Amino acid sequence: MNDLHWLTAAEIAAAYAVRRLSPVELVKALIERINAHDGRVSAFIKVDIEGALDAARAAEKDILAGRTRGPLHGVPVGIKDNIDIVGLPTTCHSKILVGNIAREDARVIGHLRAAGAIPLGKLSLHEFAFGGPWKELPFPFARNPWNGDCQPGGSSSGSGAALASGFVPIALGTDTGGSIRNPAGLCGVVGLKPTYDLVSRHGVFPLSFTLDHVGPMARSVADVASLLDALAGNVPSRRFGADLARGARGLRIGFVRHFHESDMVADPEVAAALDEVARVLTREGAEVREIKLPRLQELASVQRVILLSEAWAVHAKWMRERPADYAAPTRRKVLSGVFLTAGDYVQAQQWRGRMIDAVDDAFRDVDILMTANGMDYACRFDDAAGMARAYPRQARSPFNLTGHPALALMSGLSNSGLPLSVQFIGRAHDEVTLLRAGAAYERATKWSAHRPPVDKAAARDLATSPA
Amino acid sequence: MAGNTPKLDPLAVARAAGLDQVVSRFPEDIAAAVQAVAQDLADFPAIEGTTEPWPPMQIRSAR
Repeated sequence: MNDLHWLTAAEIAAAYAVRRLSPVELVKALIERINAHDGRVSAFIKVDIEGALDAARAAEKDILAGRTRGPLHGVPVGIKDNIDIVGLPTTCHSKILVGNIAREDARVIGHLRAAGAIPLGKLSLHEFAFGGPWKELPFPFARNPWNGDCQPGGSSSGSGAALASGFVPIALGTDTGGSIRNPAGLCGVVGLKPTYDLVSRHGVFPLSFTLDHVGPMARSVADVASLLDALAGNVPSRRFGADLARGARGLRIGFVRHFHESDMVADPEVAAALDEVARVLTREGAEVREIKLPRLQELASVQRVILLSEAWAVHAKWMRERPADYAAPTRRKVLSGVFLTAGDYVQAQQWRGRMIDAVDDAFRDVDILMTANGMDYACRFDDAAGMARAYPRQARSPFNLTGHPALALMSGLSNSGLPLSVQFIGRAHDEVTLLRAGAAYERATKWSAHRPPVDKAAARDLATSPA
Repeated sequence: MAGNTPKLDPLAVARAAGLDQVVSRFPEDIAAAVQAVAQDLADFPAIEGTTEPWPPMQIRSAR
């Protein structure tokens, strides 16, 4: 088979079923691709070659013997490096945790192993899922496969970059204020922040306990659904992809325009792409109407007060004893928590209740909400103003605050050839309808079939390298 | 909400929090943190303090 690296998990499972592909063959092909291209992308902190090949051999034996465990059996998966895999380092991309070897698997890793998935290695992230790209980090920061001079988003930067580069078909991310959906959007892949507490956080390094989510990322909505099945423990009576084929007809979609039209004004290309999403879904039979939520800045500020308070509680000891071991962006963010009071935190939690009610109320009239994901597409690393704007100018953090599930996927390409994206939000615990909407849009537009010019970049480097 | 926090010297607050190393080596990071928090609190709407917070207290049996 050609282009093994672009196969989706569903295609891999189908190829295994008819013996056109083996797990060992696939893992070797992906390792070869990582070796060839990750020098430009820096998606991986560690590739677990030995562990992945051992798991691939075991999966191959089982599959050949007809002992198939499901759609992820023998499928390689990239793991964000704030999630424990027994025997491997969990560094959180920080000097603070260099040499920290995990003593047991995170609960989600146990679920993935039970489903037969093959952890291929640990993926880079923003330091402690909080900081940003910075020269002081102990490993290179990830770059955007669509343009290596641009940021890939974060904090699950390696997960987005690895998927878009064809290094893995599926990956895990974590999301406290948009950290799955940001790199999904900027790298042109699919990312889901599930309902709060649907997926275990046991064995995942915390950033903010009441906002943290673990979730699936992939190159297709169907793969995100399969991965979520596994992460949530593979309950046979519950399949998150049950309605993927139903289409958009009859779906009632509330378009929260004020987020990107008046609360924070989006880049014109981002705004135009969102209008086009609404047109496509209407054409597909959905009813799209405008709907209002609380002002984006209010939602975001409440989320930030909770995030900064809880993150300070996590990092206080290290910040007192080892402040120089944090990169500057992380240190500045962690220190913000010092200047919030207990009263600020409690009042933020009080507001949180009202905001959950406001989003729940919106779902009386619609099945899905639709918003901007980020207000801008990926900026260059050397654009300091753009980098400073990149994280606050977004509509993701409100749904960490309220706990509703939220899906980000590609909705176009900018004039400069960088991915644009849209965010859909579902009722709490209704990932089935949320993924149905995403699949309907994906099918109608085929944006998820677009690939970044990773191979062209490699060829260009080869042509210009000294003989 | 912002009115809840008295106007204190940020470096004194940082020292009181045990951040002497940060105060001596990274005072500019303290200034940046104070500025960021001020923006967050400026966007924060007022609320009646007797509203029950979320999540509420939940009792749990021994695990």
